[in-house]
Amino acid sequence: MDKLKTTLVLMIAAGAVALFAGNGTWASFSAETTNAGGSVSSGTLTMSNTVNAGTACLTINAPAGVNNNPSCAAPITLTNVAPGVFGGTSQIQVTNTGSLDASKLTLWAPFPNATLNGTLSTIGTTTSLPITPLEGSIANTNPITLTYGAHTQTFAANGATAGGATSISVTGQTANFAYPTGTIVSSTSGDTSSANSDCYDAIGTVAGTAGATKGTDLNFNTTSGNPMCATLLLSIQETTNGQYYCWVGKGSSPESATGQCAMPISVGLTTQITNLATVTQLNVAPLNGNIASGDSIVVRNGSASQTFSASSNVFFGATTIPVTSVTANATYPTSTSSVTDSTTLGTLNSDNVDTIANFNTLHNFNLGKIPMAPISSNGNVDLLSPIALSHFNTGTFTRTFQIGVYFPNPNGSTQNTMQGLVSNFGLTWHIDQ
Amino acid sequence: MIGRTTYRALTGPAGRRSSTWRLKKILLSMMAIGGLSFVTATGTFALLTSQEANRGGSISSGTLTMNNTVNAGTTCFSYTGAGTSGNVNPACLALFSSASQNYPGTPATATVTIKNSGSLPASDLGLYMASCTVAATPGAPTPGGGDPCAVGGAQFYVLETDSVGNPTYCWYPDDAAGACSFIADTLNTFAGNLNTIANALDLGAGPVAGATRYFKIGMQLPTNASNTLQGEEALFALTWHMTG
Repeated sequence: MDKLKTTLVLMIAAGAVALFAGNGTWASFSAETTNAGGSVSSGTLTMSNTVNAGTACLTINAPAGVNNNPSCAAPITLTNVAPGVFGGTSQIQVTNTGSLDASKLTLWAPFPNATLNGTLSTIGTTTSLPITPLEGSIANTNPITLTYGAHTQTFAANGATAGGATSISVTGQTANFAYPTGTIVSSTSGDTSSANSDCYDAIGTVAGTAGATKGTDLNFNTTSGNPMCATLLLSIQETTNGQYYCWVGKGSSPESATGQCAMPISVGLTTQITNLATVTQLNVAPLNGNIASGDSIVVRNGSASQTFSASSNVFFGATTIPVTSVTANATYPTSTSSVTDSTTLGTLNSDNVDTIANFNTLHNFNLGKIPMAPISSNGNVDLLSPIALSHFNTGTFTRTFQIGVYFPNPNGSTQNTMQGLVSNFGLTWHIDQ
Repeated sequence: MIGRTTYRALTGPAGRRSSTWRLKKILLSMMAIGGLSFVTATGTFALLTSQEANRGGSISSGTLTMNNTVNAGTTCFSYTGAGTSGNVNPACLALFSSASQNYPGTPATATVTIKNSGSLPASDLGLYMASCTVAATPGAPTPGGGDPCAVGGAQFYVLETDSVGNPTYCWYPDDAAGACSFIADTLNTFAGNLNTIANALDLGAGPVAGATRYFKIGMQLPTNASNTLQGEEALFALTWHMTG
């Protein structure tokens, strides 16, 4: 036992000596290197959004500081539209301005939304939210969510709020943060019906032409149930890199084999058609819609008109329309002649599905977000592509969309109740890493 | 004794079984969580996102409304006024009054000014007479019993003019440029054939937004009118219909 104790004591002593006297390696030779200053830099995922030739709207520096800019330019603005007549189009370009590829680009209809137009106090009870004009209509008790950076709070609507309102009455609550101007305000239970959606109708206060009657002059128009939102047809045609895909509207479900949305045209001739000449092609201003092979193309000059048959598919932006050879029945000068596609107008006039209201209820954040895979060919997308929008300045970092709205004219239906109205709506674009 | 027992509990065969079982439970729980996540979570797991909204898109519809002025009277509007409903004003001024009694061969005329007061062009302007009925002229002592709406009754025309009254086109009954003439039975024919929107007299493309068209409506009893037309009046309404 004593021997064992002695041995143990010696081992303890040796350990103590080793502890205090030696903490390096005991090899005779040594070498050492240090990689100092290592750093890891994160990339960026940001986007811009440009309507027509307007200023690019950036997600960076968005007021709410959440890489979410809720206030980009209006997607389209049309005035004095009439049933059965070409409405108009606009172009939206979505660009990845960041350094990271986006694996997904997604489109949906926003919920009824606005931004705060004042700062909430954290003292006392908040019963009313001051906002920019509300896009959409909010029903009583609907949740109203405020988002600013990492701060968020949900109120409950205290009564219905009509589109365009500049305040929302809410059930009293103390703000959990001094939400400033620019805070995102969203009603996340909207877009459930045409009467409770982001798109809302208002009575027009501005005449379509100087001195003419306007919405507020009339006693037979109505905004109840947002009838024009439920009538106007929306189409979103992608034209990126000269390839076509119909994302929204007639031609999107099922997807047209050509990638064409049914979008009407209204353009002028750029080359006169001379009476009795043989016509095989119409030279026109850049098309603001699509033409399918076989469509009836009507050229009109005053009381003279002639219908041609398109002999091939013609896409947005084209400047020639091949037609089946025919002899001109009159002279159609460039200055006063118009060119329309009566086939497409007829198709759309009977369409009550592809409405803005349906876009809202079927393609909102909660239901039916539209993932926009890159186009592989006309009418086809590459669902397996890992990149939907390349990082800035590489590959396809901008995608281009044509937004069209058409006011259909169902045969035999009077639409006077929609005179002098204004339909208001928005679009949300989202990219993911 | 107590120490040895404790030692076995922690490191002996029984302790190893307990530790292994605990590890198995942890692993099974993690597998279950993973499985549940796989089945129930379909959201995106991207770490970085960016988003923007184009708000405030607006589509404004135009208007198509009509002003109707008879002679120098008060203008009547399709969209407002007593009795107006759905952009239809059924109570604009009458063209003729029974107070102005007619004599055979002596024409009576009224001017009607139609203005497109809306912001959209009218693609078509139509005119129709829903009915024509006979009644005794108020105050007439002995109505003759005839019917000015019937064959042999009143003659009727619709003339378009320029803004100062010069004839430009006779829409009815001649359908030709220039002035109109009175032709037998034309009130009867008009009321009988041009009496609904669907078969209204086509007055061509309507006025563009803000524009005005001028019409003169002519009426007379034929020069050889029967005495039965004495003390009788024709009651009718003319309806102007504009289409966008």
